[in-house]
Amino acid sequence: MTNLSIKNLSQLHPNTRRMWDWAVTAGSVLLCLLILPTRLPGMELLQVAPNWLLIWVVAWSVKRTVFQGAIAGLALGLIQDGMTSPEPTHVLSLAIVGIFTARLQKQRYIKEDFISIALIVFGMAVLAETIIAIQFSFHSFGRDASEAQRTLSEIWIYHQRIALSSAILSSLWAPAVYYPLNRWWEQMSELEQPQT
Amino acid sequence: MYSIRRWWDRHGIRIGLICLVLGAAWGVRQTQGGAVLEVYQWVTRPFVGRPDEAQQAESVRVRELEQRLVELQSQNQRLQELLGYVNERPTEGVVTPVIGRSADHWWQQITLGRGSRDGIQVGYIVAGNGGIVGRVTQVTPSTSRVLLISDPTSQVGVTISRSRFMGYIRGQSANRVIMEFFDKVPDVRPGDVVSTSSYSQLFPPGLPVGIVESINLNKSPAPEAVIELSAPISHLEWVILYPNSTVEESGTSEPLSQDSQSAEGFTEEERL
Repeated sequence: MTNLSIKNLSQLHPNTRRMWDWAVTAGSVLLCLLILPTRLPGMELLQVAPNWLLIWVVAWSVKRTVFQGAIAGLALGLIQDGMTSPEPTHVLSLAIVGIFTARLQKQRYIKEDFISIALIVFGMAVLAETIIAIQFSFHSFGRDASEAQRTLSEIWIYHQRIALSSAILSSLWAPAVYYPLNRWWEQMSELEQPQT
Repeated sequence: MYSIRRWWDRHGIRIGLICLVLGAAWGVRQTQGGAVLEVYQWVTRPFVGRPDEAQQAESVRVRELEQRLVELQSQNQRLQELLGYVNERPTEGVVTPVIGRSADHWWQQITLGRGSRDGIQVGYIVAGNGGIVGRVTQVTPSTSRVLLISDPTSQVGVTISRSRFMGYIRGQSANRVIMEFFDKVPDVRPGDVVSTSSYSQLFPPGLPVGIVESINLNKSPAPEAVIELSAPISHLEWVILYPNSTVEESGTSEPLSQDSQSAEGFTEEERL
């Protein structure tokens, strides 16, 4: 089936194929966005669901440049801000995740498999939640006690809980996003090679 | 000139794509993800069932009625004292399915499957089976987003139904909320019913919120109580939307800060 699709794709005009590439990429982002508010059975741990956009950013940035990782984090961060609340922003956490993942240069140090992707997602999920918690802490510093909506101790106790459960769940679900996307992008770059 | 042209030929598409992606993302952010929510509502429509009246837990319903009774008894007593106090009758609510939870763990929100097409407006009160749940903060044509009272950013003025001691609740991202009293020595016992107070500008007074679970009178600066919310906030499937008369009068410009400000203003008065 995959051979057939490759043959079909290779017969397409390069520009049409690129359009398909972008459509599939954008469609996968849309799919992640639509799964985000659902709580399907088996996707919840302590009322925390996997961070699908983070998984997508990691899958995108693993084999790309730092700049591409940052752009992806920026775009998805803006979208997630729209889905929840713009303050504090998700742009910072997702952009840093994109940059760090691209900087890892996985091919050079780590073997290419699901375990390493799951490990990267685990670490990045903890990092992302920590960045958000730090932003919340800065917000709480600026105000006095009666005005602050979250106290420092509340933020960091809550952070422990959701960083751990979000990291575990995201890393377990990471292959579900990474495997099909990675396969698609690999095929695309293979087809791109002889042309250029 | 030629080199610029060649550079543009090589990178033009990529720059265009980056601008397109960032522009689209910015658009989603500015519209509060309205388009995404519309698609989401359309996709999940086949999976949303119909409300089953018989299935709704009877004990929870009884508890809600008990709480309302305590509230009404107390209010009645005051009515006899206060001549000319007119109690507004609750209006008919809209039963609405919950189609999604919040898109991040730091915010406690839910997404409902009805929007402005069904007459829902920002500021509507959302009640679950047993008590209030939150208020509508954003509306698209067929979805609406609700900020739950369990969210740390939502503060609601509440009162102990039995003794009329006031305070406000702060969300704790769970089925428990913290109530901070305005008085140093409030008359409160575990099991007391808590309902919204007339000082809340976001919620009409007298709606059931929950039950006092434990009290910490030594807490500084104000005594605190842990309130167990009577609505099952972590597994809501259906909620009822009520129009909010208090918001229409006071305006909706900055409702959240207004509420906390009024609560603080009251604290000052009480302490003086």
